[in-house]
Amino acid sequence: MIKYPKKPGFEPRLLLALGLHSVAIIAYQLVLMQMLSFIQWHHFAYMIISIAMLGFGASGTLVVIARKWFIKRAGWLIPMLMIISGLAMAVTFPISRQEIIQFDLYILFTEIRQFPRLAANYVLFFLPFFFGALAIGLIFIIHAKKIGVYYFSNLAGSGIGGILVLLMLSYFYPQQAFPLIALLPVISGVIIYSKKYKKAQIALTGISVAISILFFIRPPDITISEYKSLSNTMTLPDAEVIYSEPSIYGVIDVVSSPAIRYAPGVSLAFDKDVPVKPSVFLNGNMYGAIPKHDDSAKYNIHDYTTMALPYIMNDRDSVLVLKASTGTAISHALNNEADHTDGAIENKAVINLLKNEFAGKSNNLFHHPKINIIHQESRAFLNENHGKRSYNHIVLPLLDAFGGTAGLNALHEEYALTLEAFQLMWDMLKPNGVITISSWMDYPPRTTLKIFSTLCELAKNNNIDNAHKHIVAIRSWGTITFAIKKTPVNFIETQKIRRFSDEKFFDPVILPDIQPHERTKYNVMEDTSFFDYIDEIMFTDRTDIYHDYGFHIKPATDDKPYFSQFMRLRSVRYLAEVFGPAQMPFLELGYLIVLMTFIQSFVLALLFIIVPLFFLRRTGRGKLPTLLYFGALGLGYMFVEIILIQRFILFFGHPIFAITAVISTMLLSSGAGSYFSSKINDVTKSASKVNLIIAGILLLYAVGLTPILEATIGSHDILKIIVALIFIALPAFFMGMPFPLGIKHLSKSNESHIGWAWGINGSVSVIATSLAMLIAVEGGFRIVITVALISYLLAFGAMKLYKRIIV
Amino acid sequence: MKSRSISTFSFLSLVPMAILLSCILLISFTDDFRQQREQMVRRQLQARGITDSRTIEAMRNTERHRFVPAGQQRFAYEDRPLPIGHGQTISQPYIVAYMTQIIEPKSHYRVLEIGTGSGYHAAVLSEIVDEVFTIEIIEALGKQADEVIDRLGYDNIHVKTADGYYGWEEHAPFDAIVVTAAAEYIPPPLVEQLKEGGKMIIPVGSPFRVQQLMLVEKKDGRITTRNLMPVRFVPFRRADN
Repeated sequence: MIKYPKKPGFEPRLLLALGLHSVAIIAYQLVLMQMLSFIQWHHFAYMIISIAMLGFGASGTLVVIARKWFIKRAGWLIPMLMIISGLAMAVTFPISRQEIIQFDLYILFTEIRQFPRLAANYVLFFLPFFFGALAIGLIFIIHAKKIGVYYFSNLAGSGIGGILVLLMLSYFYPQQAFPLIALLPVISGVIIYSKKYKKAQIALTGISVAISILFFIRPPDITISEYKSLSNTMTLPDAEVIYSEPSIYGVIDVVSSPAIRYAPGVSLAFDKDVPVKPSVFLNGNMYGAIPKHDDSAKYNIHDYTTMALPYIMNDRDSVLVLKASTGTAISHALNNEADHTDGAIENKAVINLLKNEFAGKSNNLFHHPKINIIHQESRAFLNENHGKRSYNHIVLPLLDAFGGTAGLNALHEEYALTLEAFQLMWDMLKPNGVITISSWMDYPPRTTLKIFSTLCELAKNNNIDNAHKHIVAIRSWGTITFAIKKTPVNFIETQKIRRFSDEKFFDPVILPDIQPHERTKYNVMEDTSFFDYIDEIMFTDRTDIYHDYGFHIKPATDDKPYFSQFMRLRSVRYLAEVFGPAQMPFLELGYLIVLMTFIQSFVLALLFIIVPLFFLRRTGRGKLPTLLYFGALGLGYMFVEIILIQRFILFFGHPIFAITAVISTMLLSSGAGSYFSSKINDVTKSASKVNLIIAGILLLYAVGLTPILEATIGSHDILKIIVALIFIALPAFFMGMPFPLGIKHLSKSNESHIGWAWGINGSVSVIATSLAMLIAVEGGFRIVITVALISYLLAFGAMKLYKRIIV
Repeated sequence: MKSRSISTFSFLSLVPMAILLSCILLISFTDDFRQQREQMVRRQLQARGITDSRTIEAMRNTERHRFVPAGQQRFAYEDRPLPIGHGQTISQPYIVAYMTQIIEPKSHYRVLEIGTGSGYHAAVLSEIVDEVFTIEIIEALGKQADEVIDRLGYDNIHVKTADGYYGWEEHAPFDAIVVTAAAEYIPPPLVEQLKEGGKMIIPVGSPFRVQQLMLVEKKDGRITTRNLMPVRFVPFRRADN
């Protein structure tokens, strides 16, 4: 039993409860992210969570408005709020699955009733965060003088929460994880139960536990968006999920149906049966078809697609398949007599599936003596094996989806498709080797042009002046395959390409001696500007087209690794005029969602959290420095977190491990920093100094972090972990100090600002995540790190301003 | 007793009034839909270059609102696709008209449609050609479309719930094939069932956005495709955008 506020000192049970409660909040957030990404797309998760997290800001507002009321009742209110947030965690997801508020992001802009449903989802998922944050905020206010210790407990708990989720999702489906997580805040509430309203607390605890158990045993039915590929596939006759498994990479489903066939863009000259294959889905999205490999097969279905291009040019004895997914390109290489094929697959669960449960379905493809399956993200594989292995064919998968992805992957970092990645591939090519990459033909042309500009820049960077002699491309009715060769394409090869194209009703698009009429012999394009763009990219310095084209078609780089991001802010209005506003989202949904998320979180935070409190009379003097200081900290912390995640995705090779490593290490280290700050007496001076130290570290990172990570990326795992720990923990340790020092400062100078500070910090953190994405896309990571640095300088300035106003 | 007879009388007098009101409403709605259809033809089709008189007449006669879910009826004649459930859509009117016009349908034609969906496109085609054979892979949609088609009295439309991959061999060859839901591949049996000189039209692209249409033609043993542009050409390259 805790008594407030008479005993504001150190309280081990409260610390434990706070830590456990913090574990739950971060775990709930991450599982919710996973769940919403599964039933919808990760952008939906992003939108919902960004609004839900404003619960932190709103709780701060409420505490400021009714500070005395809350403090007076804190003894029973804190445990009660914890239990309520647990209850909310258990029930919100099942409620959100009710027909009346089920929402579909895909038709948000075409069906008006989706908007109230979206709003209902916002409100629903806001609740657990709001109640949870209210409990934390109250603890911080009451223990402001010992904030360092309590903030440590909060951050350490959050750090552990990140690791817990990773373990949980390996064994449970996300819908089962919710009730388990929901028990944690309830336990926290029980740990610090209050004698007052004891019956109410017991009743609420009982209800929460009972509901959690119920939903764990009988989780709600999951209906995924009818526009996701899994849903579409399940409408086929006799479609059946023959395997399902939760994994840290997402939920894996294997579906079979006599109507699932795989033959992407197959030639119209193909007159045989298109093979039926079971398909693997990851989080409801098509991941790949399981090929039934046959060494003695007379043909491979890919021989009738443009992807056969490298094999008709020459023999390919050693092949590297990047992003090999379920191994269709590996099977193709084997059927084309490759002696050795390496396949890099980032998803261990899929590898296991094809090596074990589905080994028979693929005729033991992944156990074939001529292939080597490597569990690694493609870029990490390139980095590690640069200078060690060489190939005469490196193949990238078919990009984009048939009919387009509606830009749903726009903001995924794709380090395997940056100019730096292509350089690594180039260096690993044998003298007559080729890199091939294919794409669905898109309209307006974007993916195809970006691939081509990347290949042209690659040629230029390797001092090839006559790129048109090194690059070839052929096009079918639906796909295009580009190949770049280290040595010039010779006459025999061009003749083979022409003959093959004729047989398959394909058209050559790029050949050293291409004639204009050849490009549309079988597949006529009414809008032929695609060829003009191709020629301009090939034969000019590309500056004009990069600048003038309606979409980003400049190659992606490690600094801006968003290959699938094409939308540019300045052409939004023009494209809306051309296609109509309703169709804009389907050109690139991902970018628009982030833009929308930023605008809505900014407006909501401003309207309901920052402005009301700014005009509240009782908040006293020094409002501007409080706003600046805690706002800058919220912005700076999130920007650094996002930069580190992006840098370490490249370093570790997989987003899941990078996100877990960065978030958990940062939070734990910041917790340690916070604890350390509790020993500091000269609060104001130290707060200024610490912010300067952080700005200094960020300055060093802006210059030196990338080269250091690049130098150690190919090292042994243990060394990599040590490097990661040092470079994540160092700034995070200091970054854990300014917030508690600031709160401590307020507890001495203006206690009424504490709740507000908590609210501002929470709100700005939310705004910062979408803002950082937009800045990264438009300006690159260097700009993001510069803004983070400026934020900490701003916090330093705000502390100085406090002194002038208050002292 | 008296009061009961009064109330019975009042009730009885309400019945013809209600019938009258319903009739007025029905007529006004019907008129309203007819007007909307006329506007659709003028603003969405003729204004954008649909010139084939048979296509225009078919679009004018086919009651699109009968093919969409009840909740979507008021949007039936808007210039956009509408969701019909199961992740499927009824195409934008203009796309339906464009696809119809491009196959140059004649009254003696036998047309195969892959992807019945709501049944609307089959109905439009049936206004022009001799026979329409339509195949839907999703059982619930196929059944629903069959019921609507039956109810509206289209007796030259034959609906089958099956995998469209195999086409409809018993009735092949076809003068034209309309594929309303494109896949990652064009099924070889469909190419096989297309008459020499016949045309196959396929939309490529997400149903909710500007779609490219692809015309497949079979002539002298060669199969060629043509990417058609249902929207006006636009320069994606502009110095001032």
